[in-house]
Amino acid sequence: MSFLALLGLSVVTLRHHKSRSFLTTLGIIIGVMTVITILSLLEGLNRKIQEEFSSLGSSTIYIQKMEWQVGPGQHRLDFEELRKRPNFTVEDAEALAKLPSIEAAVPSIGKGVGTIKRLGNEAQNCQLKGTAEGGDLTGNWVVDQGRFITREDRLHRRLVCVIGSYIAENLFGAENPLGQTLDVDGHRYFVVGVLEEKGAMFGQTQDNVIIIPVSTYLKYNPLPRGWRAIWGGLSIEALPKPGVVLEKAMEDVEELLRLRRGLRYDQDNDFGLNTQQMIMTALQGITSTLWIVMVGIAAISLIVGGIGIMNIMLVSVAERTREIGIRKAVGARDRDIMIQFLMEAVVLALLGGLIGIIVGIGIARLVSVLVKFLDAASPWWTIALGFGFSAAVGIFFGIYPAQKASKLNPIDAIRYE
Amino acid sequence: MAGKIRRPPGKKSKGPDVEPLIRLQGLSKTYDGGPVAVEALKEINLEIYEGGYVAIMGPSGSGKSTLMHILGCLDVPTYGEYFLKGQEISRYDSDQLARVRNREVGFVFQQYNLLPRLTAAQNVELPLLYSSVPIDRRKEIVAEMLAKVGLVDRGHHRPNELSGGESQRIAIARGLANDPAILLADEPTGNLDTKTEEEIMALLDELNEQGRTVIVVTHDDTVAKHARRTLHLLDGRIV
Ligand SMILES: Nc1ncnc2c1ncn2[C@@H]1O[C@H](COP(=O)(O)OP(=O)(O)O)[C@@H](O)[C@H]1O
Ligand SMILES: [Mg+2]
Repeated sequence: MSFLALLGLSVVTLRHHKSRSFLTTLGIIIGVMTVITILSLLEGLNRKIQEEFSSLGSSTIYIQKMEWQVGPGQHRLDFEELRKRPNFTVEDAEALAKLPSIEAAVPSIGKGVGTIKRLGNEAQNCQLKGTAEGGDLTGNWVVDQGRFITREDRLHRRLVCVIGSYIAENLFGAENPLGQTLDVDGHRYFVVGVLEEKGAMFGQTQDNVIIIPVSTYLKYNPLPRGWRAIWGGLSIEALPKPGVVLEKAMEDVEELLRLRRGLRYDQDNDFGLNTQQMIMTALQGITSTLWIVMVGIAAISLIVGGIGIMNIMLVSVAERTREIGIRKAVGARDRDIMIQFLMEAVVLALLGGLIGIIVGIGIARLVSVLVKFLDAASPWWTIALGFGFSAAVGIFFGIYPAQKASKLNPIDAIRYE
Repeated sequence: MAGKIRRPPGKKSKGPDVEPLIRLQGLSKTYDGGPVAVEALKEINLEIYEGGYVAIMGPSGSGKSTLMHILGCLDVPTYGEYFLKGQEISRYDSDQLARVRNREVGFVFQQYNLLPRLTAAQNVELPLLYSSVPIDRRKEIVAEMLAKVGLVDRGHHRPNELSGGESQRIAIARGLANDPAILLADEPTGNLDTKTEEEIMALLDELNEQGRTVIVVTHDDTVAKHARRTLHLLDGRIV
């Protein structure tokens, strides 16, 4: 029998048992749906991560009181010890900047200042950041108009600021912000520079910054004390020289800091070196965990689905024993019967696969609408994978019933009641 | 089918020089699946020539159906040899047997055995599907077969919309689709009234007149009278 004739035969037979066929494919539907949903989200997540990290100065070393707690497997934190760690100083930054492997090292401190108003306009959720000359390099900022903070600004504690593109757009609109003033946190700053747009990072814009000299910042803001100092105090951003391996630069930074703090060889670091690479690694860890979860769920439901198909095909073979006998009596070979039933199992599985793919893509789209920073991407290969998996399940679990059907003796089959 | 006229009846030679269409030698069939083995056929020797019209009679349980099934390659003998057109086929593998069922014999059952979900025309088409006849030719043959059994206007009906006699005609049309040398009919009129029986037998007569070898199992003397040769089976032996 021709392929098309067999396909038509399967469709007609399955249509005859609509609800039974649908219920049978539920396992496959769930399996394929899971694969497609998770793959689409993972793919979207991966693309997002790459996109966002390429927008950052991804080799900057963030020198802080403690390491970022990212990913699984972190040991317990000793807050007493963390609280006692010494603060970083502007001098630390200056010393680090002199390292041959370091291009720029700047002190950095910041806080949220909420909504800023200017002439009836407002910008929400603004961040005030104190830094020094070179902070544009370590922060991967590009100055669009004007200039960045200079050494003179810092030494003279000038009331000047460089603003992010979001602030410029929302508070100044079409006006040129340069030379204008801006009231932030009880002080009036001159705008000396505007930064290029950087985009959002995990759904949070980075263009809401107001950057001022670190000395000016420290003049008006006392250093936080106690546990707040762990994250809220002065930190240092260091950018390795081009061509220097990140790990080498980190070693140099670590050595110099230990020296400056007089740590003995048997004493642990009382500071943490952080890089965006760590977030990357942690996210990759999450990604691979999701992979394992997906493979697990998919495997289980595909097996369950496959057994469902095998079961229904065995029922079908039993119900249609006479039909098999009659077909054989008029000349069907074993393999004709085999292919007929196998085809039916595969069509059934593919049907489940199709529904699973559609529902899976739908769920992925829905999740990406609900979760702001997540995009869903369903490239063609995920769809091909969905169909491939279901076809494979159909064949694998359809073989036994089909084999059973094909081996029936014609006259016994015809006589079967 | 018209035009494919085999050797005219009456002119067939039965000399030892002519190989019979069917030759059985020491053919036995034992069913040993149940609690006791049943010897359904015992040492059957039989020759049937091309164009023959043979009735097989005998009491219930005498082995008539068993013999027909073996002749139609629906079942295989336990011992003995079955030559069809000179080929020893009792040792054929299942693919070869399927080919014989498809091309060489048409089988007509007492219970018609039509596929209920297919239309009459699709039932007739079935053997053609398994011999890979292209679709245009299939349609032609189906139309031809329906005409031959006088049911051109019933092609699109399902078996449950057909009378017993019509169902059996469709079954005969299906049996003839691949133009087999032999038509085997196991009590084809067993479920039919006398008038319909006459119509079916007239059809078989006509097929035989056109040269086809017809073998028919029956209880009924009036049916057997249509044949030119009658075999009697008793307890698995020809008497
Ligand atoms: N599949 C089978 N298994 C066991 N015994 C069978 C089977 N088919 C037929 N028989 C036995 O073989 C004998 C011949 O049966 P059958 O050929 O159907 O006779 P008939 O058609 O002449 O009535 C009977 O005794 C019957 O019970
Ligand atoms: Mg019988």
